[in-house]
Amino acid sequence: MSGTGTIRQWFVRRALLAVLVVAGVTILTFVLIHVAPGDPIYMLAGDGGNPAYYAEMRARYGLDRSLLEQLGRYVSAVARLDLGYSFMFQAPVASVLRDHAPATLILGGAALIVGTVAGLLAGLLCVMTGSRVVDGAVRWTASVLYAAPVFWIGQILVITLAVRAGLFPAGGMTTAREATVGLAWVGDVLWHLALPAVTLSLPLAAVVARVTRAALLDVMREPFVIATSARGFTRLRLLLRHVAPNAMVPVVTLVGQHAGQIAAGAALTEALFGWPGVGYLALHASLHRDYPLVTAAFLGISASVVVFNMMTDAVCAWLDPRIPLT
Amino acid sequence: MYNSLSEAPIRYQLAFAFASLAVLAARCGGSPSVGHPVTLVVAQSGDPGALNPAVTTSGSTHPITDQIFNGLVGLDQQLEPVPELAESWSIEDGGRTYRFKLRPGVRWHDGAPFTSADVKFTFEHALLKYHSRTRAALEGLIAGIDTPDDLTVVFRLTRPYAPLLQRLDVVEASIIPRHLYEGHDVLSGEPTRRPIGTGPFRFVSYAPADKLIIERNPEYFRKGLPYLERVVFRILPNAAMAVSALEAGDVDYVGGVAGPDLPRLRSLKEMAVVAGTGGSGGSLCQDVLIPNLTKAPFADVRVRRAWAHAIDRQLLVDRVYFGQGRPATGPISHLLAWAYTPDVRQYPHDPDEAGRLLTSAGYPERPDGGRLDLTFTHGPNHQRLGQALREQLKAVGIALSLESRDFNASVEQVFVKKTFDVGFASFCNGADPDIGVRRVYVSSNIGPYPFSNGAGYRNPRIDTLFDEATLHTDRNLRRARYADIQRILADDVPYFWLVDSEPLRAYRKTYTGFRLWTGAFLETVALTSSGKP
Repeated sequence: MSGTGTIRQWFVRRALLAVLVVAGVTILTFVLIHVAPGDPIYMLAGDGGNPAYYAEMRARYGLDRSLLEQLGRYVSAVARLDLGYSFMFQAPVASVLRDHAPATLILGGAALIVGTVAGLLAGLLCVMTGSRVVDGAVRWTASVLYAAPVFWIGQILVITLAVRAGLFPAGGMTTAREATVGLAWVGDVLWHLALPAVTLSLPLAAVVARVTRAALLDVMREPFVIATSARGFTRLRLLLRHVAPNAMVPVVTLVGQHAGQIAAGAALTEALFGWPGVGYLALHASLHRDYPLVTAAFLGISASVVVFNMMTDAVCAWLDPRIPLT
Repeated sequence: MYNSLSEAPIRYQLAFAFASLAVLAARCGGSPSVGHPVTLVVAQSGDPGALNPAVTTSGSTHPITDQIFNGLVGLDQQLEPVPELAESWSIEDGGRTYRFKLRPGVRWHDGAPFTSADVKFTFEHALLKYHSRTRAALEGLIAGIDTPDDLTVVFRLTRPYAPLLQRLDVVEASIIPRHLYEGHDVLSGEPTRRPIGTGPFRFVSYAPADKLIIERNPEYFRKGLPYLERVVFRILPNAAMAVSALEAGDVDYVGGVAGPDLPRLRSLKEMAVVAGTGGSGGSLCQDVLIPNLTKAPFADVRVRRAWAHAIDRQLLVDRVYFGQGRPATGPISHLLAWAYTPDVRQYPHDPDEAGRLLTSAGYPERPDGGRLDLTFTHGPNHQRLGQALREQLKAVGIALSLESRDFNASVEQVFVKKTFDVGFASFCNGADPDIGVRRVYVSSNIGPYPFSNGAGYRNPRIDTLFDEATLHTDRNLRRARYADIQRILADDVPYFWLVDSEPLRAYRKTYTGFRLWTGAFLETVALTSSGKP
């Protein structure tokens, strides 16, 4: 059993580790994007300029300094919570990220919920019915959905449900033609959210379904289940009351890890659907070699991965007290 | 009247069966569109960032700001200057002095009067410092800008310069308000967030990565214009998505259509697919291949001529460009009609001639049929071009490897590091050869910076001719110089001109009046009489 003292120790240790990991990822990103071919000045400064002009622009953004000096200045600025200035937006990086974070949270949150619920239900369905046909169908579908590229699924959904059937918009987060407010705005966003959220949730649903099924079957083989079963419980009650809680640890771990990666994994979906989130932002910032913005986006993404992993460990330990907090 | 929601509720209801019942009630109960004015939705490929057109050439900023601001002059369909903020002008002193009479009564969107001080400020503090093309052209040329009174501006030049007027439209020289910018950073200061212009539309709001909205300026100096009440620029970075949105009715206008989407769009009766030759991103562009002239084999003109004969440009136009353009014959697009001449050495598709030229240049056919191994460095949109070139060049014994980079990296490799055999660029001529043609061929523009003379071509005669061509305001004298330039360059083939591009725009036929040759392309857009968006 973990006492409060050890929980505090655990938290401090993990938080320190988290800071180290995020700092490492940030420095690595900074160095990688700087040594990658390409130069932000082409996008920043426009074409047809003369050499003096390009030199002035380079100096203005500190791009004429050595990589080590740029890195030093960046790290010391971040330590003062200053994420720098975006070349693309000509605005502070923090405010750009703040503008884009809600869209990613909405999309990621929706995908996480839809994917988890759908996956859990599908996994339960396999084990509950005990039907080999249902089981086979779920496993097969899950394999296909897990393997299919997100951009392909998304494009198919757009062509069939948006362009052909006209049921959903083809992209964006709100209707461009008219401005909506209040509840109508919420409805508009939900309407636009449906396709990207489903697209992003499918791989998660697929893997949750498979893991749920496997975990349930594992627990079903435990002696205590056979004993409970012998006491005359129905299969459904047995599953929900006794098997499911014991099978949840791998599922929670999976969903937790996935949550942390949503910001990164959402990039393709966001680009495909014109969804104005952080993933889309990171993608375009890297194409524009917007160094401060790319680095900050990866800082944010790695921080969210680390935080969700910590939360996952805590939840798992709470679900199954035998798991030590390390 | 705007009534696109008349058939929408069914769609919405179906959709909301998936989403939420509560929302359905809200949606159908409080329809926001009753009496809604005419709104045009334009697909926009990227975020504009700061909204100051006088400090950037960005193709993400200008399509928006060119509707909000004005130049001293506009450009008509032949790209000839017409009055805009300047009502009239005179060229004095043999082309050394340009005197502009400004249009009286013009007001900025905040109500302040527009005066000559705004023009002087814009040039001295923004255009000549930060607008890359305008600065490169006019730095050292402008001796001073005088403002004898509120409605007169005089440009004093160090030498006669004929193409000045073509450089003063909204794309090359948008005029910004002095009273707002003075004391602010013109690159990123507060006024760049809420742009105030003199143009047909006023800025309303901007949600990054989502949409930017502008609305009709009721005080616009051209009475009765514009016709549209609102324009929404919807940011859709993915070109395939933009076309999907157009088909789905979420968007009304798309500025670029990928070839494979063309047949489908053309088959839709509600869609107009029209060639546009200009606009904010650049006018009269030519796609060219850039040979590295500083080393073998392209240092030898025979190899360049062989390559030119080996390429079937008509086939490229048909298969790679899906008919969007015409095979190019030289360094000036045929669309720049006054300056263009077809009377130059031509390179018809002729693999046999190409083979003979290669043999004479010292590249005879090897036993395996090959003669030369070269690499084509290109950006992400030119795989198809690369594959077509590889097929055509194989026939003359040139084995072409394709080196695909992202846009930024390909520009750096070709123009800055210069580690390439053959590169690619889309060079835009602009409204005058001096704007976009000169920079590609003059030796003074060889250097490690983007979209310069990347081939490294040096010819003193060409340098002189380009200078002479700007000294005369008489078009006939200028035309003769440009004809000489085209003849010399076609003999030398320092670049391989593939296609005079005519990119296609697609829009719903319910709208009409797009001015597809200029940046200010929305000023006269209106609903067609039967128009029901």
